[in-house]
Amino acid sequence: MSFTLRPILRQKKALAGLIIIVALWLMALFAPIVAPGEPGARVGRSHQPPSIEHVMGTTKMGRDVYRQFVWGARSSLSVGFATGIAITVLGTAIGLVAGYAGGRTDAVLDLATNVVLVVPNMPLLILLASFAGTVGPMTIMAIIALTSWPWGARMTRSQTMALRNRDFVTASKMIGEPAWRIIFVEILPNLTTLIGINLVGSIIYAIVAQTTLEYLGFGDPLKVSWGTMLYNAQNSSAIMVGAWWDIGVPAVGIALTGLGLALLNFTFDEIANPQLRSGPALTRWFRLTRARNRELELGR
Amino acid sequence: MRVSSRRLGVYAVALAFAIVMNFILPRLMPGSPVDAMVAQLGPRATPAAVEAIKARFGAVDQPMLWQFVDYVKGLATLDLGVSVKYYPQTVVQVLGRSVFLVTTAIIFSLCVGVVLGAISAWRRGGRFDTIVSPLSVIMISVPPVIVALTTLFVFAVSLRWFPVGYAYDPNLDPAFDFTFIGSVFAHAILPVLTLSPFLIGEFQTTMRSSMISVLGEDYVTMARAKGLSHLTVMFGYGARNAMLPVLTNLALMLGAVFGGSIVTEIVFNYPGLGLTLYTASIARDYPVIQGQLLLMTLATLGANFLVDIIYGLVDPRLREAV
Repeated sequence: MSFTLRPILRQKKALAGLIIIVALWLMALFAPIVAPGEPGARVGRSHQPPSIEHVMGTTKMGRDVYRQFVWGARSSLSVGFATGIAITVLGTAIGLVAGYAGGRTDAVLDLATNVVLVVPNMPLLILLASFAGTVGPMTIMAIIALTSWPWGARMTRSQTMALRNRDFVTASKMIGEPAWRIIFVEILPNLTTLIGINLVGSIIYAIVAQTTLEYLGFGDPLKVSWGTMLYNAQNSSAIMVGAWWDIGVPAVGIALTGLGLALLNFTFDEIANPQLRSGPALTRWFRLTRARNRELELGR
Repeated sequence: MRVSSRRLGVYAVALAFAIVMNFILPRLMPGSPVDAMVAQLGPRATPAAVEAIKARFGAVDQPMLWQFVDYVKGLATLDLGVSVKYYPQTVVQVLGRSVFLVTTAIIFSLCVGVVLGAISAWRRGGRFDTIVSPLSVIMISVPPVIVALTTLFVFAVSLRWFPVGYAYDPNLDPAFDFTFIGSVFAHAILPVLTLSPFLIGEFQTTMRSSMISVLGEDYVTMARAKGLSHLTVMFGYGARNAMLPVLTNLALMLGAVFGGSIVTEIVFNYPGLGLTLYTASIARDYPVIQGQLLLMTLATLGANFLVDIIYGLVDPRLREAV
């Protein structure tokens, strides 16, 4: 574990991202301690600006925005992360099978990938959601996952195709290893960075899509989440009456999550493709020579 | 310049997919949409109208296959179905506004993103790069809803620099004169600026990584050795060749751009495809939702096709390969 985390932790950007994400998760997990009380309870008058009593103000319905923010993180984060994982698993599996099998299987899967990629997601999501009526988090998850796996599948497929003809794969074929073992034990470990990028990207996408659907009113209005907070704020025309805290707080929550994930993703990209690193080009070489010189001096 | 038959095949299947989804969904969903629609019609529910809705949404005793044939026949004659609610705008107007928004945003962000990407690759590790590149990744990760709400609040509601909604000043009559066109632009600025950040971020990121590998090519070293100016090497030799992956990325993102335009139109009350889709989805006006999905799919496919053609024009190797 430590050897996979070390390159991430060494980068300041990634560390900042990790801290943001972990902090948000901790806040969500310990919601009963951080913001005790029922998030849906009416505690004050309508649209009160932030005060000592209600640090983030109140909504149109007189609910405490801070409490809603903390409790809403639970639904938003868990749905976002779970959906991201579902998208990654689906995309990786399809990409692996297509890339490894080749031939007709690949042709069919590749066609499916391209088709789902070309059909605009959001209208499709809205169509599905509107036929399903008001939908729970599980349905939102399923809808998002089923429409957004192709990005990962494309990347995984081309990478798998490049690996398929390497010697170690041929060798394990000759030993007589079954296809599933070659795919999951021989090829999959080589795709770790790619899967990491895919995962973080998918979580970002899932959070964007989930927020959008909930903002449009397809979420469960009884469940508190950042998306439904935005929806309620929009419906009570919070912007027009100048209640910036009502819309600003969930917006900041979502933006922070996006920021944290973005910082992580930036580092994943750099690990996968060292060319992209923005540090001075020869840092590592300089460090090596310095270390060698020091050793030489010590030896003397 | 020809687009490969394989791509055309993908488009055909994608269109068929959208049509089949449209056809199957109302028939699969629990709680008959037909009843909901008949209820919505209220006093207008003449027996003939009810029959028409039933035929369209599968409440008739006909085999599925025949229903499907009828449905496709209807589409072929551009009969997108009857709106349950009444929509006064013509499709062309609504589609036109969305295409206008999306195209302006794409062209604007393409210019900005490519130049930013080229510069940050040229001075990799410099101050410009270390600020702009992480910023791009962040811009990709913030949902358009948030950007839209923030710009609306800051620039339209608080500062009052820009109008709060609609495609143009409703007091003006559409005409081809300066005030009207000015009004159209003033109303489009905020929506376009809202659509742009994530596009700029995507283009900058793609451009930067592709430019970095292009700058390692021998012909760039050669150009530098010849003593050509920095600008010539950067744009004439580097950026020109680094553009191709950006175009590929653009094609992949078109669907997302249309998705972003839905949200933007809703927040800014901009009467395009997205807003129509939204009002229809609130009213559960299924025929309009379905029509919108088809239109958006067609628009995305058309745009993809256009990118394919441009790609062929830009990359001479592809022209021969096909």
